Amino acid sequence: MHEIGIASSIHEAARQAVRAHGPGRLEWVRMAVGELWAVEPDLLRFAWQAVVAGGPDETARLDVEWRPARQCCAQCGRTAERSPGCWLRLCGQCGAALEIEGGDALDLRQVSFLTEENSDA
Amino acid sequence: MPENRKGQLLDVRQKILAANQAAAEQLRADWGESGTLTLNLIASPGAGKTTLLEASLARLRPLGYQAAVLVGDIATERDAERIRALGIRAHQILTGGSCHLDARLVQQALAKVAWLHPDILFIENVGNLICPTSYDLGEDFKVALLSVTEGDDKPFKYPAIFARAAVTLITKCDLLPHVDFDVETVLQRISTLNSSGRVLTCSARTGEGLQDWTQFLEQRLASKRKGSNSVEQGA
Repeated sequence: MHEIGIASSIHEAARQAVRAHGPGRLEWVRMAVGELWAVEPDLLRFAWQAVVAGGPDETARLDVEWRPARQCCAQCGRTAERSPGCWLRLCGQCGAALEIEGGDALDLRQVSFLTEENSDA
Repeated sequence: MPENRKGQLLDVRQKILAANQAAAEQLRADWGESGTLTLNLIASPGAGKTTLLEASLARLRPLGYQAAVLVGDIATERDAERIRALGIRAHQILTGGSCHLDARLVQQALAKVAWLHPDILFIENVGNLICPTSYDLGEDFKVALLSVTEGDDKPFKYPAIFARAAVTLITKCDLLPHVDFDVETVLQRISTLNSSGRVLTCSARTGEGLQDWTQFLEQRLASKRKGSNSVEQGA
């Protein structure tokens, strides 16, 4: 349910990033999204379409790079194997408690922007 | 005039919530200067946030602490009215459909009420375990509430809030005999997500566990003030 708010923040940030480049439209936008944000990439792309609909960026595509969180052992340093959405309690190797690393990105990475210019320029 | 399009690729690397983060850091600096301990309470609708606040405020006042409350809701002034009925300063932030508070809304609300700095500021977020987690309000720490009627599977279903909360309060523990909620399972799941997080069990109705909770608040306030220059204690 928070995908709409995040999608409109992405659009705002992307627009701000291209502001200096004059009029034109976004072609695509690439985001890094970490697992801890509880964002569904499909829902985010759907929300993005709703946010850009009816404006100059209507055809712009949103690419999502998924960044899973890792569970690492503070004792032996091993990164535990885990399936998405599944959290482990203890390190399978040494039995110590695991700590969560990463998965907290919500970053605009790249924007492709199409400017309109006269060919006689 | 024939027209063509020129594509430009821009590397941006910008945090999407950078504007919120800047506002949050400003709030954090203000509260650092005033020595105000600020809590961001996050829970599902009906977990007992306002009821816990009523019970906490009733215990903090005789100890001499000045408290104030900001309450976020999509609609109605009901929660702020409940707090004001206790004679405590409270302001309702109506988000008008947004499912979370953000730092700019908090700044606007504080500018409107112009309160003298309280010792403890409680910010009761919109009832929701997901969206509020993502927005830093400049608080000292987040508090998650999990009521026993919600089920002991919630920490793994909503890992972000339980991973980020400095303390999780298991609320409505007076109902434990009536529900299938295993406190030990929840403790294990939270420690998996958050090895340094505290978990307290309480009931605002019976008062069980509230002393540990208010002591926790007093300790956090004292250590915040010891760490900063402002050392005045609530009269």
